[in-house]
Amino acid sequence: MRKARIELGDVTPHNIKQLKLLNQVVFPVSYNDKFYKDVLEAGELAKLAYYNDMVVGGVCCRVDVLDGQRRLYIMTLGCLAPYRRLGIGTKMLEHVLNFVEKEGNFNSIFLHVQVNNDGALDFYKKFGFEVVETKQHYYKRIEPADAHVLQKTLVKS
Amino acid sequence: MDPKKQQLPPKENALFKRILKCYEQKQYKNGLKFAKQILTNFPEHGETLAMKGLILNCLGRKEDAYNFVRQGLRNNLKSHVCWHVFGLLQRSDKKYDEAIKCYRNALKWDKDNLQILRDLSLLQIQMRDLEGYKETRYKLFELRPTQRASWIGYAMSFHLLKDYDTALKILEEFRKTIQKTTYDYEYSELLLYQNLVIRESANLQEALKHLNTYEANICDKVTLQELRGELFIKLGRKEEASEVYRGLIKRNPENRNYYLSLEEALGLSTVEERLKIYEELKEKFPRAQVPKRLPLNYARGEALEKLLDPYLRTSLQKGVPPLFTDIRALYNDSEKVHIIEKLMSRYLRNLEETGHLCETDNEYKEPASILYVLMFLAQHHSYLGDSEKALQLIDRALNHTPTLIELYIVKGKILKHAGDFVGAYEALQEAQTLDTADRYVNSKAASYLLKANLVRQAEEMCSKFTREGVSAMENLNEMQCMWFQTECAEAYYRLGQYGDSLRKCHEVDRHFQEIIEDQFDFHTYCMRKMTLRSYVDLLRLEDILRSNRFYWDAARIAVTIYLRLHDKPLSVSTGENHINTANLDPAELKKLRSKQRKAAKRAEQNKVEEKKKEDKKSKGSGNSDDLENTPSEDLVPGKLERTEDPLGEAIHFLKPLQMLASNRIQTHLMAFEIYLRKNKPLLMLQALKRALKLEPSNPELHTCLVRFLKYRNEQLSQSGPIVDVITQEVTRLLPTTDPTSLNEDFLNRRQDSLPHRLQAARSMVLLDSVQRERGLTIATAVDSHLNNRSHQNVQLVLEWLESSEFNASPEEVSHFKNQCHKIFPRARAFFPPQPPASTTNESSELSPSQSTSTANHNHVDSPSS
Repeated sequence: MRKARIELGDVTPHNIKQLKLLNQVVFPVSYNDKFYKDVLEAGELAKLAYYNDMVVGGVCCRVDVLDGQRRLYIMTLGCLAPYRRLGIGTKMLEHVLNFVEKEGNFNSIFLHVQVNNDGALDFYKKFGFEVVETKQHYYKRIEPADAHVLQKTLVKS
Repeated sequence: MDPKKQQLPPKENALFKRILKCYEQKQYKNGLKFAKQILTNFPEHGETLAMKGLILNCLGRKEDAYNFVRQGLRNNLKSHVCWHVFGLLQRSDKKYDEAIKCYRNALKWDKDNLQILRDLSLLQIQMRDLEGYKETRYKLFELRPTQRASWIGYAMSFHLLKDYDTALKILEEFRKTIQKTTYDYEYSELLLYQNLVIRESANLQEALKHLNTYEANICDKVTLQELRGELFIKLGRKEEASEVYRGLIKRNPENRNYYLSLEEALGLSTVEERLKIYEELKEKFPRAQVPKRLPLNYARGEALEKLLDPYLRTSLQKGVPPLFTDIRALYNDSEKVHIIEKLMSRYLRNLEETGHLCETDNEYKEPASILYVLMFLAQHHSYLGDSEKALQLIDRALNHTPTLIELYIVKGKILKHAGDFVGAYEALQEAQTLDTADRYVNSKAASYLLKANLVRQAEEMCSKFTREGVSAMENLNEMQCMWFQTECAEAYYRLGQYGDSLRKCHEVDRHFQEIIEDQFDFHTYCMRKMTLRSYVDLLRLEDILRSNRFYWDAARIAVTIYLRLHDKPLSVSTGENHINTANLDPAELKKLRSKQRKAAKRAEQNKVEEKKKEDKKSKGSGNSDDLENTPSEDLVPGKLERTEDPLGEAIHFLKPLQMLASNRIQTHLMAFEIYLRKNKPLLMLQALKRALKLEPSNPELHTCLVRFLKYRNEQLSQSGPIVDVITQEVTRLLPTTDPTSLNEDFLNRRQDSLPHRLQAARSMVLLDSVQRERGLTIATAVDSHLNNRSHQNVQLVLEWLESSEFNASPEEVSHFKNQCHKIFPRARAFFPPQPPASTTNESSELSPSQSTSTANHNHVDSPSS
């Protein structure tokens, strides 16, 4: 059986609506216009994932500086339900990991995951992320409202 | 005039030579300077005056140009220069016939002038004056026998006159003079041209021999083999033909024609034989699509199912969005449709239950398969007329992968089929926003906006891809974007903006004129480059250029509008009119009026803009060196819709159709309509006879026949040669010459078909207005057992009711509309006057589209296609 093609592509003003649509379907939270405006400036930190030329996933990150520490924050990383467990999430996360490695000046990568999202927890743990904190009432409009903070500390070379 | 005055002294003569040089090198300013120097001393010098005029023409000063050239010619009628210049001037104005006359006059005074002879030959071939062309080419050949172009032009003039023997003799003599180098593409082209002439002379043996002799010199090996195959088949040498085609298939296994020719060469007749060959070829070329697709056309029943199953499954696994388009050709066979539906439904069930397309397959689950199955089935049901089922399926697909743009396009198409033009364009707009860099989707969205009569929005949509700084409409015209212009014409027509619509039709007509004029460049270029086969193809294409679909569309709309303008001319003062305002309710009327006011305002604005541009153009054209600068005589909608001679204009559009689209019955029906109004019984008869030959059972033709008989009874005198001819013909063509019994008979025979009933009802009312009630009953019966009960056909009934021909009361209209609305709940045409909010939920920040209410586009007959 032939393998499907999985590729990443840039987010541009032309296709940003696909990212919006995707996030609307995949995540229970909705993001405002500012979010998408920033995404357009994010360069390699925002990518669409294509499965046989269809947009099925997207990842958006931003750089977060706290107490002089540069950290990469994954804002969204998601894939349409029918296309999960095909390596699309892995492709996107690997892209992020490669990016921070190449840049070399990040202390860590972190993200929030709803506490009941076992699939996501397992996924990130596979790549060396750990739960470092659990925030109560992190989400405002969804249940459960608590979120784990997952973090991967990067060894500085 | 004093001939001595026309002789310049040496110094001035040298200056004059410099003028010529300046003209050739486009140094117009210098040219004028020298001309001035001569003219201060010799103000009467004709040739200088003429040259000055010619240069001014290049600078865009047309009027001055004509004055100077004419004056120059008057001063020196015996100068070939003056005549030549006058010819060039006429040519630049596209007055080719006049130009030819001038050149001929010039040649009287200088019969061996090469430049003039060349210019003349170009005009002659452009005007297809083939005899004249032959003479001129002969003259050129005599004068310059060493030039390649002389030989070729001379030979070609015989070829075009179908004097193949002479053409071949010249070509062969010429061929002998050519020094062969190792690889010479031009020589190869010459040989292939020579071969073309041999083939057209019907000497196939010789053609084949010719190919064999020069095989080594022909560089285009594919063409060589294709010609060989063709010749072998025509000569009945099937075995050799099949060898050639097998070789060609090996070269390019995706060329459908090679396979079809191979079938012919092998003399396959039965389905089994064909299928067997394709089995063999499939094995040989496992990656090729064509040998997999073609047998689907032949196979039936179980054999088809066996072939279709793997074909469909591969495509569904791979994800081939246009799978339905590919398969649609099979839908003319209901048995095949049944098999397709059976297979597809089975796949869907399997996917729902196991995630696999097929029960026996359990290795790999392709997550997108179900998506493509749903998409296919949606198109399938839409095609078969079940819009609701189609929509359910496409919505399921959209739920599965909302980011697949093709799904929105399919959804739009389904809604369009159901008559919901608003929902359709909303779906396309959704698709368009998902990828604003996709021009195809952009154009599709614009096209759907036009179908909903939203011209301005459509233009805006297109503007995302047109050149900046110019209005999109203008840029689309400049780019000869004819799909847009014809659809736009149609939208304006439905809106009752006849002037705007006619403008679009004329723009399209002009594109065709322009394409014909663009030929000019090729007459010299192709001779020089030796691309003779393509050149002959081009000439032949230009001869039938207006058989193109876009011309058809534009002409059809234009004729329909001109007929209407003849029947009901617009008043001179106001812009409002045409639309039957009597039975609009006040709210709609208000809306309509404000729309018309806006349109008028916009038109006014356009005019101002055009004016500005015009000014700019004439100012800026100082450095435009275009000789063929057309005067932009503008198409003003207000003038177009108030033409003095609408029927004459209609004939202008009709003529090319009679020549080139005589196989379409509509051509002859339009001709009938025009000639009926022109009172030309013999031409009416001719049109009807042609139509009868094409499609005797055409419903619209019936009404034309009835009207003709009525005309004959009422308008023609009892006897006379014309009446006798008509009587004789009519008796021969029709079972009865009494229109009423013709109609009753027709109705009896075609009771079961909706469009036929409509025409019978029309005829009935036309013949006797007392029959109005009966006509209404017959036309508005839309029971489900009737054939051809599409919403388009039902809409024709509605349009008739609302037309001035029937003049239905508002109650009658709304009663009928309600009835249709129940049958076609999505069709906008039958919506009650208050348009409900859009039926699609997911739309859209776009302004709701009240302006597409069908309120006014029903008041005009749609130009039937």
